[in-house]
Amino acid sequence: MKILSALATAGLLVVAGNAAASSFIGTTDTIGSSLANSVEGTSDASTGGNNKVVLQARDDAASFVASNGAIRGVQLEAALQHLRAQQPGLEASDMQLAEDILAQ
Amino acid sequence: MSSSRRRAVYLVRMTLRLLLLLLLATPAPAALRFVAELDGLDAAERAFTRELTRAAQVSLPPQLKAQLDVAVSLTWSAGLPAGVSGRATAGGRLQLDRRLLQQRDQALALRTLLHEVMHLYDRLGPPARLRWYCGARLQTQGAVGLPAGCRGQGERRFRLSDDPRLLDLAGWPQRVASRGEREAANDQVLRSPDRYELDSPAEFVAVNTEYFLLDPDYACRRPALHAYFSRHFDGWSPPAAPCDDKYPYLNAATGPDQPVVGWLDPQRIYAVHYLLAEPNDDWASRWGHSMLRLVVCAPGRPRGPDCLLDLDQHLVLSFRAFVEDVQLSHWDGLVGNYPSRLFMLPLAQVVDEYTKLELRALRSVPLQLSREQIAGVAQQAARLHWSYDGRYYFVGNNCAVETLKLLRTGTDSPTLIDLDSQTPIGLLQLLQARGMADARVLDDPQEALRLGYRFDSYAERYQQVFATLQTRLGLPADGVEQWLDLSPAERRPWIATADLRASAGLLLLEQAAVRRELLVAQQSLKLRYLGGGAEAAMREAGDLVGRLLLVRGFLSRPADLLPEGYGLPQAREWQMLEARSRQRGEALLQMEARLDEVLPALLSDAQQARLQGGQANLQQLRERIKALRSES
Repeated sequence: MKILSALATAGLLVVAGNAAASSFIGTTDTIGSSLANSVEGTSDASTGGNNKVVLQARDDAASFVASNGAIRGVQLEAALQHLRAQQPGLEASDMQLAEDILAQ
Repeated sequence: MSSSRRRAVYLVRMTLRLLLLLLLATPAPAALRFVAELDGLDAAERAFTRELTRAAQVSLPPQLKAQLDVAVSLTWSAGLPAGVSGRATAGGRLQLDRRLLQQRDQALALRTLLHEVMHLYDRLGPPARLRWYCGARLQTQGAVGLPAGCRGQGERRFRLSDDPRLLDLAGWPQRVASRGEREAANDQVLRSPDRYELDSPAEFVAVNTEYFLLDPDYACRRPALHAYFSRHFDGWSPPAAPCDDKYPYLNAATGPDQPVVGWLDPQRIYAVHYLLAEPNDDWASRWGHSMLRLVVCAPGRPRGPDCLLDLDQHLVLSFRAFVEDVQLSHWDGLVGNYPSRLFMLPLAQVVDEYTKLELRALRSVPLQLSREQIAGVAQQAARLHWSYDGRYYFVGNNCAVETLKLLRTGTDSPTLIDLDSQTPIGLLQLLQARGMADARVLDDPQEALRLGYRFDSYAERYQQVFATLQTRLGLPADGVEQWLDLSPAERRPWIATADLRASAGLLLLEQAAVRRELLVAQQSLKLRYLGGGAEAAMREAGDLVGRLLLVRGFLSRPADLLPEGYGLPQAREWQMLEARSRQRGEALLQMEARLDEVLPALLSDAQQARLQGGQANLQQLRERIKALRSES
């Protein structure tokens, strides 16, 4: 139940109004990402052979696929470059690679 | 005129000429000399005194000895106040505590003597050229029209201790919007070699030159100050130990997969970006947030534009108020009751936090800095991380002011001397106007997004994705908000028939729904806790969170882990640092695990149902995406 851990940490301490007090520790800066990760499921992802760059690109990949290539974020860009550098002969299109990353 | 008279005049003339020749021909002597009062001392004490002055002559920089061209009277005094081991009188005489002589403490006596000589040197006054030029400009033009190079120079009285650069490095920065006036207190209080240095800039100079002259580690523990003193003394410095090429820092992001100790290597930094989180309507963030992004290259990659994509290496420097309380108080923020500290965070975490949770966009604008300036920023960041514990003021010492101070001290750029801003956006505009920030990278929004000069708010993505889904699937909602308001069960039927593209869109929206659910749940828990009268489990959870916040404090105040040593930790301290931070990191994880056990029961049934429903939808979507992908 990773989600509860995130909720726990985020649960009681967050600040006035809503969770958006960016200059304040104890709000989202140390806690937010674990919360965000619990949603993305990156924390428990131990997919063999894939590194952080690829895992961190999954939301960008989802945006890319969902927008038919219109939204192309830098995390996806980094992951694409990483994959192509690892396998120089790779013939897959960016969209196919994005789908692969999304399906991780 | 008689011949004898004529001869006399001739002789005088010749003598004068000879004297002049002699003066010209004799090299300038190392002119500082000590005249020690030896009366009443026995033979051993005289020997001790002679050895002391000899050692001081050896230790002092040649430039200082030449300029401090006086005979300094030195006496052993029994009349100094308790705790004072030396004094430089206004008349330029040195008094040392007689007990140093009685204890035969040569090392402490030397340290004291050098300290007091440095006071004398400091009192020689500022370099004449600056005093004349800037003093005249100050009188004719006043503080408002003063050239940047004269800011803080016109009314100087000391050789070192009122030099603007020294004050920046030492920790008496310019107060914002005060035309160069300095803060009264030094907040670089942690890992100090001797707290007396914080007493005044004059004592700072005297204490630090002791270490500069006598401690071979000084160059590595306080590299920027070492470089400053060395440059001041015409490039001279005593033999120093070689320094490590990286600085340890504590990673403010915590988690099972996050190492607690990180390493900052200036050689691997390709660029520094001004990182701006755009404002939103919340009162604590309506000005936006200023940060710096260090574009660190992956190990082995040569420095260059390719490093822009080494995202997992990039580091964010962010000054934040450290709030130990469950409730953030506007009042406490105004009156400076929160500590201001420098947090070092992985870029990915910062981007996630702003774009996905707070739904705010980020701008990452490259700063035009030399290699030396980039290294200087990294060095200053490390210094602040280990020594700084300031006060955070919403007005006067906020993130923009702190970021500017870090940049000003780190780069030593003339551009920043007289630059003032209290707002994150204002600071960016000024940096652009002065040519230090190059925002042209943002001109093409799509290219900016692709290369990481801009990180868009996920709110924009949700709108775009929802619009497409609505057209393609006919979702029963008028907008994103309405879709997220539906129950997880109401959203579920669309999953089974979605194609890959639609599944990707639904996944993004489902993530948004679960995140929003979490924020709502945490807010309601907080209100119940603060409302008092909560059940025992709620009390326990609240106390746990309070302790968690407190324990977390070490991540922004790492000096607490290493009470020995001063300045930047050296290699022999690293092992202890890693052991202790690992221990604290594990304690943090354990407390979080305990919270896991306590909290579920505190959520309402409806909240639990919505959260679990959302998670189930996410799971189903991931499986659907995998299945569709493997079919294709």
